[in-house]
Amino acid sequence: MTISNEVSNDAPILDVRNVVMHYRTEKGDVSAIENVSFSLKSGESFGLVGESGCGKTSMAMALLQLQAENATFKGGEIVLNGEDMLKMNPAEVRSHRWSDISMVFQGAMNAWNPVHRVGAQIKEAMDLHIRPQLSHTESRERIASLFEMVGLDPEMMDRYPHEFSGGMRQRAIIAMALSCDPQIIIADEPTTALDVIVQDQILTELKKIQHDLGMSIIYISHDIAVIAEVTDRMGVMYAGKMVETGPTIEVFHNPKHPYAFLLLSSTPSITGPRRKLAPLEGEPPNLLDPPPGCRFHPRCPFVTDQCRTEEPPLAEIGGGHRVACWNWESVPPLSEGLRK
Amino acid sequence: MTDVQAPASTRPLIKVEGLQKLFPIGSSRFRAPDAHVHAVDGIDFEIAPGESLGLVGESGCGKSTTGRMLVRLMDPTAGSILLQDGDEMIDIAAIDKRDMLRFRRRVQMIFQDPFESLNPRRTVYDTVAEPLTVQRVGSVPEREMRVAKLLDLVGLSPADTFMFRYPHELSGGQRQRVAIARALVLDPSFVVADEPTSMLDVSIRISIMDLMLSLAEEFGVSYLYITHDLAVARYMCDRIAVMYLGKIVEITDTEELLSNPQHPYTKALLSAVPVPDPAYRRPDVLIKGGIAKAIDPPPVCRFVDRCPMATDFCRTHDHPDLVDKGNRHFVACHLVESSAG
Amino acid sequence: MDTKQVPESLQRIEVQIPDRPLWRIRAGLLWESFKSNWKLFKRNRVGLVGLVVIILFAILGLAQPILFATGVWDAKIYDVRTGNDTRVRIAEMTVVANVDEVIDPTSQIDRRRLIAEGENVQVGDVIQRELKHPWPPDRHHLLGTDPNGSDILSQLMYGARAAFGLGLLAAFVTVFIATTVGSVAAYFGGWVDSFFMRFADLLLMLPILAVLIVASSFGRFKLWHLAIFLGLLGGFGGTAIVLKSQALSVKVKPFIDAARVAGGNNWRIVTAHLIPNVMPLSFLYVMFSVTGAISSEAVLSFLGLLNIQMSWGLMINKTQSAGYLLNPATWWLIVPAGLAVTLLAGAFYLAGRGMDEIINPRLRNR
Repeated sequence: MTISNEVSNDAPILDVRNVVMHYRTEKGDVSAIENVSFSLKSGESFGLVGESGCGKTSMAMALLQLQAENATFKGGEIVLNGEDMLKMNPAEVRSHRWSDISMVFQGAMNAWNPVHRVGAQIKEAMDLHIRPQLSHTESRERIASLFEMVGLDPEMMDRYPHEFSGGMRQRAIIAMALSCDPQIIIADEPTTALDVIVQDQILTELKKIQHDLGMSIIYISHDIAVIAEVTDRMGVMYAGKMVETGPTIEVFHNPKHPYAFLLLSSTPSITGPRRKLAPLEGEPPNLLDPPPGCRFHPRCPFVTDQCRTEEPPLAEIGGGHRVACWNWESVPPLSEGLRK
Repeated sequence: MTDVQAPASTRPLIKVEGLQKLFPIGSSRFRAPDAHVHAVDGIDFEIAPGESLGLVGESGCGKSTTGRMLVRLMDPTAGSILLQDGDEMIDIAAIDKRDMLRFRRRVQMIFQDPFESLNPRRTVYDTVAEPLTVQRVGSVPEREMRVAKLLDLVGLSPADTFMFRYPHELSGGQRQRVAIARALVLDPSFVVADEPTSMLDVSIRISIMDLMLSLAEEFGVSYLYITHDLAVARYMCDRIAVMYLGKIVEITDTEELLSNPQHPYTKALLSAVPVPDPAYRRPDVLIKGGIAKAIDPPPVCRFVDRCPMATDFCRTHDHPDLVDKGNRHFVACHLVESSAG
Repeated sequence: MDTKQVPESLQRIEVQIPDRPLWRIRAGLLWESFKSNWKLFKRNRVGLVGLVVIILFAILGLAQPILFATGVWDAKIYDVRTGNDTRVRIAEMTVVANVDEVIDPTSQIDRRRLIAEGENVQVGDVIQRELKHPWPPDRHHLLGTDPNGSDILSQLMYGARAAFGLGLLAAFVTVFIATTVGSVAAYFGGWVDSFFMRFADLLLMLPILAVLIVASSFGRFKLWHLAIFLGLLGGFGGTAIVLKSQALSVKVKPFIDAARVAGGNNWRIVTAHLIPNVMPLSFLYVMFSVTGAISSEAVLSFLGLLNIQMSWGLMINKTQSAGYLLNPATWWLIVPAGLAVTLLAGAFYLAGRGMDEIINPRLRNR
């Protein structure tokens, strides 16, 4: 296994620029991703957070070019190592997928085919993507070392998925994602169905592997506490738009988009003083017919007339912290309660 | 065990004693079971009127089974569930068919999945009025009025625009509000809430939890709040009971549990909960692996195999009783000294 | 047991409730759901074709009594059994050497028979002669007549009524029983479930045709006997198994638990929660059962096992017993009835497929 331990340099290995993706449905176009940009440096972990339907999973699928059939790209670039994936033909995409950018799927049970041994399924992925193909013994050795890396007994590779517990299946999924030595792993809700103790083990494992192999990870989760733990930088998505990005610590301690602010104020925690949380009123908009101007304005307590008509740009407010809000300066500091 | 866990001043609304549920494995009509899963294995707790008790634990620890027994969706294998009824306590576990309907008025349930807990072919009115219909309460216009008022109260207003919609026309949060209205329409004294917010989006969760809290106050309802999320339990509950493999291992006031956990399992659980603050460093989780099923477990402490502190004493003695270690802080561990609080 | 008071806040709340009575609101909802389902059904061409064919046959069936009542058709001529057109129809016929060479009985005649009747003709002569039934289609008999001189179109129309009557009766009996049995078996489980399911297995193993042949030897079946019989067979048999599996998937839904917590007894849960959620599939199986019943009837009538006035199967049966079955020259004796069985049975199947899309949202949005 080639272990690249290079320190992150400034050139991003993945650069998502102004991507617009719509789903065509019978009822009209759903604007699932609207003008989303972010970049990922080597060795970095980036978190995408938002509620269901905000476009975070669509974004993950777009990065792998595994989007649904009714999806169409209306613009933007997904630049992987200097090449735009949106301009590649399917064969070129396939050559990058899995070997450059791979994925830890949500719902570990469904990701495995129940009638094949886990090792055989990983070997299949390697046979398809590693050139020159590995011999049978080489493959098995590699799977054994991957299993050890994710904390599984190598002998488990000859077992069937149902013989694995939920946490073990998730570990095996991670082994599979690592099998072709990718530069980037996309972890879509990697621990959502797991209990906290197992979640802790999986997240620790991922952090360790990322550190050891120097790879980049994009975490996608609705659980902002998980994002807080594992990411260096993060983006908050709302209704298909990126509303705030920046260093994780900055976004958590100093959220400036009203949505991020309310999301953080409405998250219960076991630390800090016990207090009443501020609820986020209303429901996310229907993306068949998104509201004009800022998409958050119908639920926003800081709304002004400008928000109802003009779309705010994602603007830098200092220190790599960007916010898409006209009135970010009127968002108060987060109460001390959440920190420490 | 007869230790009084609820505040001594008030009589408990619910008093659970030695509640047990065994599931047979490999049995059929012609064959005795090979073994039993001890899903809930002799638990005791009390809930005071108006109090909300959180039941937390990993999946498979028996918390949902406990909740289902309390509303008699499942029959206990052994034990009693005493419900305050005027001046006496009646045993729900031994209730007969005649009294069942009356019992249903007092004890209701809110389910986890708002998409599956409403009958897709019935309107909001039908669903919320269902308890009134089967209990033959009031005339049709009276029911309509009561349903409308409840819908208004749970935040589905104006009520007449929601009454005759179908579940598929509502969002997840709205559906859970309907489920809450259904649970409260008969004015119950006790509601079992089984992970009512875990399927909802983060931004909806707090408003549903706030709604449940304010309704509890207004209706004087006690909750058994079942959840795997300690942060949610902290927000919702006065006291928390931690369950592990069918046993309650620790039970005390919420803030006491969080600030001063005693049982090694509670400590591990607390240190594993992610905190929404990147600057916060959690202590290391000392236990490994996942939870197994308790299939005819040996009589020793249930946690002994995963316990980082287990001694030979633990391996040779029976599962410890839940004992007050001081300050109404009950812990089931051989190694925890008394007067811990 | 009620020790609690109604919260004061609840009494204070002022709300609007719809001023229309509940039944009118429900009727409105039903109409709305019918409209939206119809919109979905309409989008599926296959289902629409099925429905159009069903309607055409229904019109055909309903038109027959009207034709008699209005005097357009004279019962003496057009009755499906006793009707006989006694008019004389003259046709040109070619004389052939012997019976074996008569391929088309409406335009060819055997010389020996003519000689026996005292006429002297040669092979190849064309003579004018009164045409015996069956007559080919003409102005009076749009689909011709059968060997007894009875009108084929009239029989076909009567047969449509028989097919609808039998098919729908059998299907509703099937689905009524299957829904009840399936839901009850799924909900109660245990020995109730075992009993009904083993009984279903037994019925599935039964060679139905053989049983029917035996049964008909004890007294000939009337059409509605057959409908009930097929209904019982399907209702306790295969359809019950399908609907039970649907009921099982409904039974485990939390809303069933919620109904129990509300205080609903078994009867209430089965009738108000389980069955309404099995019903969509039941309706689908009504469609498929009609297809099966129409086909079964055709086979049984063809074998002459039914004691019935007229049906499409019987039309084919009579053609066969008169010796015209495999003769393309007398196509009108066999094609209309055969086609009608195929079309109507197929149409119900197609309409069922169309309904399937309403019921299974997964099949949609493609």
